Amino acid sequence: MRNIVKLNLLQFGVIYLLLILVLIIMKKAKINQTKLLIVASVRMTVQLVLAGLLLSYLFATPHPIFTIMYVLAMVVFSVYRIFSKNRWINRRFKIYIILALTVSGVLILIFFLKAVVGISMFNPQYAIPLGGMIIGNTMTGITLGLKTFHENLDSNRTQITALLDIGATPKKVLLPFVNSALESALLPTLNSMLGMGIISLPGMMTGQILSGTLPLTAIMYQIAIMIAICTSVCLGVFLTLYFGYQTLYNRKNQFML
Amino acid sequence: MAPILRTKDLKFKDFLEYPDIEVEQNICTFITGASGSGKSTLLRLFNQSISQSEGKIFYKGHDLDEMDTIVLRQQILLCGQAVFLFQTNIRENFQQYFEFRGEIVPTDEAIKHFLNLCQIDFPLNKCCTSMSGGERARVYMAIHLALNSEVLMLDEPTAALDPENSENVIKNVLAFCREKGTTTIVVSHDAALAEKYAERKIKLGRENLHA
Repeated sequence: MRNIVKLNLLQFGVIYLLLILVLIIMKKAKINQTKLLIVASVRMTVQLVLAGLLLSYLFATPHPIFTIMYVLAMVVFSVYRIFSKNRWINRRFKIYIILALTVSGVLILIFFLKAVVGISMFNPQYAIPLGGMIIGNTMTGITLGLKTFHENLDSNRTQITALLDIGATPKKVLLPFVNSALESALLPTLNSMLGMGIISLPGMMTGQILSGTLPLTAIMYQIAIMIAICTSVCLGVFLTLYFGYQTLYNRKNQFML
Repeated sequence: MAPILRTKDLKFKDFLEYPDIEVEQNICTFITGASGSGKSTLLRLFNQSISQSEGKIFYKGHDLDEMDTIVLRQQILLCGQAVFLFQTNIRENFQQYFEFRGEIVPTDEAIKHFLNLCQIDFPLNKCCTSMSGGERARVYMAIHLALNSEVLMLDEPTAALDPENSENVIKNVLAFCREKGTTTIVVSHDAALAEKYAERKIKLGRENLHA
């Protein structure tokens, strides 16, 4: 097996020269985002350097507590992102979201590590990158599901009111909205599975191939992670919406949104 | 006879204060009053799709606070101002509404009868999306008429209708309810209509308002 060419710092620095090209084009096209480009590049560099240092440390001195804390931090960050993009959700709904993301992300990650890879679930080299992919995608799915759910409820208030007024149960009235939001949250993941290998070589597989993994091993990992992501998104969005919708009406079956 | 609906010291939030109201069984009560006097709110309090901040409402002597609101809304049926019809034909709209309530869908003959009462003369497979606002309002009312209830509350039933249609629809609907023993409560701005069809009138005034 070949090994990857190690980048030395000087060679690596050359890549930043490409940004000058972006700057020139932005100037020509009068795009006033020079500051954003610089901030984004600097932030990306700093964040990734920190992540790299942290991971080096974790890999050198592996400990279950570190792995657990890292995965937990990912969950906390994801939950925070979901909340900040969905200001309308109530407190009970938020608790369900935390549970849904944690249960689906962590369960699928453990299944992946133990059943598919067959290693300790605290192995940071596997748990952290795979956890990041699973939890990150579940976060995106839940955000999308909640957004669709909220928009549909909001634009169909007349329907909800009319049906509650005839004495239909909130469950019957609201479940169709749960189902259609679940569907739209799943579609991006399913569509990306459709195009995989033809339109793009996915990131994880590319990375593994670059670092010298045999392509056939790389595709097995890629397929496995896609199925894991699909399941985690589906489970996470389902749990979020299925338990969450029940916080939108009270004991007197009044819709509260 | 004891009133079917009765309120006591009813208040909604801190700006609506109702006089004690009694609605008698099997007759038609009109609720009139200026905009903002709390007519529609009163109907929503009767079906508990909103809650009062103070006071009690009794239905056949039972405190509404202790009733299952699903059963309550099936018995005290509100036909609200905002018309909602599924984007499909008349027959399937009846089907949907009845299925959402968990009841058996009426036969085509029965549906036609209810449509006739509401002055609708369309085939049952006519799509509701291509109808005018007034036609949609009448189909909507026909569905509510078909859903069995003890009390039928109509909120501005004639708002979208021309005078001739208003008159005929109200006449038919009230006659049908009277025959079946359904109590009707109508909220309307139309003074002439109230004059002609109300067996009892309740006037809500500005004095209920506490700004």
